[in-house]
Amino acid sequence: MMTAPYEQYADSRDVWVFAEIQDHERVLEGALELLTRGRELADALGSRLIALVFALDAEQYLPAIERHGPDAILCCSHPALKHYDSQIVPDMFADLIAERRPSIVLFPSTEAGCDLAPRLAQRFATGLTSHCTDLSIMDHPDYGPGLLVMKRPAYSGNAIATVICPHARPQMATVQQGVFERRERDDVATDIEMLPFSYDLTKLRIESLEAPLRWDKPKVPLEQAPVVVTGGRGLATKKNFERLFELAELLGGEVGATRVPVFNRWCGEERMIGQTGKTIRPRLYLGFGISGQIQHTASIVDSEIIVSVNTNAGAPIAALSDYVVTDDAGVFLAKLIERLRSEKRG
Amino acid sequence: MLSIIVCVKQVPDTQKAVFDPKTGAIDRSATGNIMNPDDRHALEMALALKDAHGATLCALTMGPPHADEVLYEACALGADRGVLLSDPRFAGADSLATSRALARAIERLGPFDIIVTGREAIDGNTGHVAYQLSEFLDAPLVSQIHRIRIDGAHAIIERQYGHEYQTIRCPLPALLSVGSRDNRVRHPRLADIAAGAVQPIRRMTMDDIGGSESDYGASGSPTIVIGAELFSHTRGREALPGGTAEKVEALVHRLKKHNILRY
Repeated sequence: MMTAPYEQYADSRDVWVFAEIQDHERVLEGALELLTRGRELADALGSRLIALVFALDAEQYLPAIERHGPDAILCCSHPALKHYDSQIVPDMFADLIAERRPSIVLFPSTEAGCDLAPRLAQRFATGLTSHCTDLSIMDHPDYGPGLLVMKRPAYSGNAIATVICPHARPQMATVQQGVFERRERDDVATDIEMLPFSYDLTKLRIESLEAPLRWDKPKVPLEQAPVVVTGGRGLATKKNFERLFELAELLGGEVGATRVPVFNRWCGEERMIGQTGKTIRPRLYLGFGISGQIQHTASIVDSEIIVSVNTNAGAPIAALSDYVVTDDAGVFLAKLIERLRSEKRG
Repeated sequence: MLSIIVCVKQVPDTQKAVFDPKTGAIDRSATGNIMNPDDRHALEMALALKDAHGATLCALTMGPPHADEVLYEACALGADRGVLLSDPRFAGADSLATSRALARAIERLGPFDIIVTGREAIDGNTGHVAYQLSEFLDAPLVSQIHRIRIDGAHAIIERQYGHEYQTIRCPLPALLSVGSRDNRVRHPRLADIAAGAVQPIRRMTMDDIGGSESDYGASGSPTIVIGAELFSHTRGREALPGGTAEKVEALVHRLKKHNILRY
């Protein structure tokens, strides 16, 4: 008889979270959200939650990580870790997995997380489910107890697929920022373990030729903006699209986009909301000229209030709107800006 | 002369897809197939390198027999040969089993100086394959490329990384992962399409790349999909009445009610 798959993994127990540092100045919001959910998963399993941080001057980030409830933090601090490096971090991370055998490893769906996770999955010949929208623990009648259940959009976002990885460890997932809430807690004592940096830097293959330049970025990350005004194909022109920035300023929000404006270069890709872009849950989502392709709408459904402005009252986005405005998106946008300006003046 | 291989994938045209209302699955018989959009940009990157430095360019795909359509398309655009990796034993592969099969095919067909892939496919949206090829082939991977030139055994690349702009030197062989922002694709001329359609396509099966059935397809895939559900997020959908001015008023009123507008 075949051994039940879970028996050979009895010593793989802990839940790990890659606590990514953003712009070498803060712990990524999405990592703190993952720690919050990771805590719940670890509690459901009766196992430990471990955060891993690799950074320059990494000690400064430990208090923020501690406040989100890990049992332990594995921390490595070194100047070579100032930026995510696609050789150093996978090599160090892989050594730790091989030595300590976690059951679950979670990563934010960022550029670094999306580099690190598939590399580790390949090295351990294990499964990876990307851009998950939910994580939980289940006991499966055939595959055994304590499995990580990963949900992700499938079939172009038209459905949600439920995925498990029963025959290999660790079970791995990447999760977009904004999918989980983050909560601080003070009832978990956190051990801190400093890891030595002993990487042979002469092994690095990619060599940097010039000091990197800093690029501009949005003031508030889209995922944290309380109001997101979003434009789609129906705005028709770049000029119309650019008026969204005026409205965003009046409402104290940020500007998002569907695929078409990004494709037409009305704005940068960092503003794209959707399955391959960002997931948001603002207090208010205002969609202008957006028909509601499922790839986009799946990433806005947790918004508190959804308003859609579209010439077509039967557009798919209407179904998930609290308020439906059937009008030309550009015309309505101009009138709304005018109205809000007059109120501010008055 | 450089030797380049570009990985392309045939995908259902999800922007125009027809879905089964019960399962949410794509109705493949009613949905057309296209070359994955990012892969067109990958091919463009390979063609630009060929134009600038001279190269032989091989297009590789894995899929069912009709996936050779994307190879003819690649040849029409300037690829010199096409290879179709097709075997029922590859069916049901997740990203790891896919990467393993592609990597072994690339090892058999090579050596190559440059391997180019699209950033991600619109049917699966995992974005794993380029990174896993980088691991299987032990070659460095560069993405978000703005500018590239080849200097001997190295590529000199300008790229955006996070919020930063970098110039790097990367030894060959290297993997390039290319997305829609990285370049603008060319369109084939009719005469080239006709010429591309007569290029011979090499067909390979598992027997050509080695390994055993447990390496590939569903049995070589660590992830298992145990369910799929359609999801519905229908809300109140209150239609705001009147002309544009009345609708603006109605919206402002409701935003105040929800305490989003406070003045």
